[in-house]
Amino acid sequence: MYVELKNINKHFGSFKASDNVSFGIEKGKLIGLLGPSGSGKTTILRMIAGLENPDSGEIIIDGKVINNVPASKRGIGFVFQSYALFRYMTVFENIAFGLRVLKKSENEIKERVAELVKLIGLEGLESRYPSQLSGGQRQRVAFARALAPNPQLLLLDEPFAAIDAKVRQELRHWLKEMIAKLGVTSIFVTHDQDEAIEVADEIIITNKGRIDQIGKPLDVYSKPKTAFVASFFGQPNIFKDYNKFHSFDTVPNVEQAIVRPEFVKVTKKNEVQKFKNSAEEGVVTDIAFRGSGIEITVLVNGETLTARRSFDEAAIAVGEKVDVFIYRLFVTVGENAFLLENKSLREPVVVI
Amino acid sequence: MYKETTSSKIVKWTLIGISIAFVILMLLLPLITVIAEAFKQGFDIYAKAVSDNYTVKAIWLTLEATLLAVIINTVFGLSAAWSLTKFHFKGKKVLTTLIDLPVTVSPIIAGLIFLLTFGRQSPIYPLLQDWDIKIVFAVPGIVLATIFVTFPFISRELIPVLEARGNDEEEAAALMGAKGWTIFRKITFPHIKWAFLYGVVLCAARAMGEFGAVSVISGHLRGKTNTLPLHVEILFNEFQYVPAFAVSSILVMLAIAILIARSVIEYKGRKKI
Ligand SMILES: Nc1ncnc2c1ncn2[C@@H]1O[C@H](COP(=O)(O)OP(=O)(O)O)[C@@H](O)[C@H]1O
Ligand SMILES: [Mg+2]
Repeated sequence: MYVELKNINKHFGSFKASDNVSFGIEKGKLIGLLGPSGSGKTTILRMIAGLENPDSGEIIIDGKVINNVPASKRGIGFVFQSYALFRYMTVFENIAFGLRVLKKSENEIKERVAELVKLIGLEGLESRYPSQLSGGQRQRVAFARALAPNPQLLLLDEPFAAIDAKVRQELRHWLKEMIAKLGVTSIFVTHDQDEAIEVADEIIITNKGRIDQIGKPLDVYSKPKTAFVASFFGQPNIFKDYNKFHSFDTVPNVEQAIVRPEFVKVTKKNEVQKFKNSAEEGVVTDIAFRGSGIEITVLVNGETLTARRSFDEAAIAVGEKVDVFIYRLFVTVGENAFLLENKSLREPVVVI
Repeated sequence: MYKETTSSKIVKWTLIGISIAFVILMLLLPLITVIAEAFKQGFDIYAKAVSDNYTVKAIWLTLEATLLAVIINTVFGLSAAWSLTKFHFKGKKVLTTLIDLPVTVSPIIAGLIFLLTFGRQSPIYPLLQDWDIKIVFAVPGIVLATIFVTFPFISRELIPVLEARGNDEEEAAALMGAKGWTIFRKITFPHIKWAFLYGVVLCAARAMGEFGAVSVISGHLRGKTNTLPLHVEILFNEFQYVPAFAVSSILVMLAIAILIARSVIEYKGRKKI
């Protein structure tokens, strides 16, 4: 492990911002630190950078415990949520700052800044001030500034939060590419699940100062270990009593059932469906067109569920009676989450 | 856009009229009077009054006290503003309140405080005597009193500017290995420059005009501990009206110079943002 946190605790007054945080990161990986606002993501990043000191626990980088190494000596690149560009310096001077601190020669500085400006595609804007740049351009400058002194570890706090949706999409890919190209180990913070899933090699999920789960994007998405993670991803429909939907095993002490849209199949009465026998009748209450398909809200057994259908399936109207089949759902018992499959999936079915 | 009705027009012009009348009556008229009185008996008499030995000494003393007050309050103001906005510590609220003390107590009281602290009655007076330090009825006392009354001016200008910004730019610089002084010079100072200069101007203006505190502690020794305002008072009490107004006109001109400096700084500072 290149970066390792061991049992890190951090209080702000009586508030516990980090609760026994432990994780490890391999060299060269791009890690997404994902969790809702206030779950302690920034605090973790700031402790790794040395801007905050943990109350207890060890931070290890490249095999060395660095708790007592000052921030300025850790050699970590940091991109602030607000970018924190030096507003009284030009783009050139912003990027050159770290190199000047390292007392590089003027020629070296010129060369390196030119290289980075090219990398971020801002040639010709070197003499602009941050206030004369767009959000996306500022973000790139912040990125270049953090990279200039060749850090071994790059930390990015909500790098896309302040950028409008369209540019954000573009920048995500750009950043992923850049980091892959440079091979610098990176941790980025986000509260956006799509962003984390799209960009990260591995996701660390924070919840109330704790780490709930660590894993590949697909794994945390499809195999949530905790109730929190299960309900955090996707567009979950949450309800109490899942036993009113038949064909599911009964687990004792279940508190909640969580159903994601892709777990639900909605078919018209006249459509053929393999598991028609185990389907239940529902009424369509709402239909919404999304870029990727149609989102249908149905009321079944007194619960509201969301499902998706593609554009080339037969149209469904609001108020129509439909068959609703639930493939699987998550149930939560205390902090833990379990996946339950519809039993009819296991039974041999005869299609008539 | 908001359209003016007849009644709102009346309100507008009444208010503007009151303001203008007030400014003329309270500010412009007295200023003109000072200048007119100063030159009443011709320029030669004015020049003589202004170049009088005691007057020149008073000018120098005023400038000296002002300069020292500005320098010392700069050091204090920067450290206070910095520590109050960048650190969390116990007693922060108390310190914030204490900084404002000099503008809330009467200058006379301030003068008395110094008189009691460093004068003959004071327990530390023998100590000062041993080291041959004279404070009361001497220049150091004047400087101390001036510093006291101008104490909050610079820090008060800096605190809101520093507070409004947070310190992530400083953190970013520190992460790249920059030292405290570099960070201050390259990151913090450019940001607070105009507010700082504005504070300096206010501090200088107040220092030059200070009368109450300085009056108590100076002992009115002509040519020794007389600042310009004290000198004006003495002349006035001796019924030397023309010289009194002549010396006053110097203060007026200094004030106008400061007003101009202030406007320029405000204008430039606003343009920068
Ligand atoms: N310097 C601080 N002083 C007091 N509380 C803080 C400080 N920094 C963070 N916190 C608190 O710690 C919690 C976690 O903050 P943070 O790590 O910024 O969360 P996130 O980045 O996940 O939104 C928040 O409730 C926040 O109010
Ligand atoms: Mg945060």
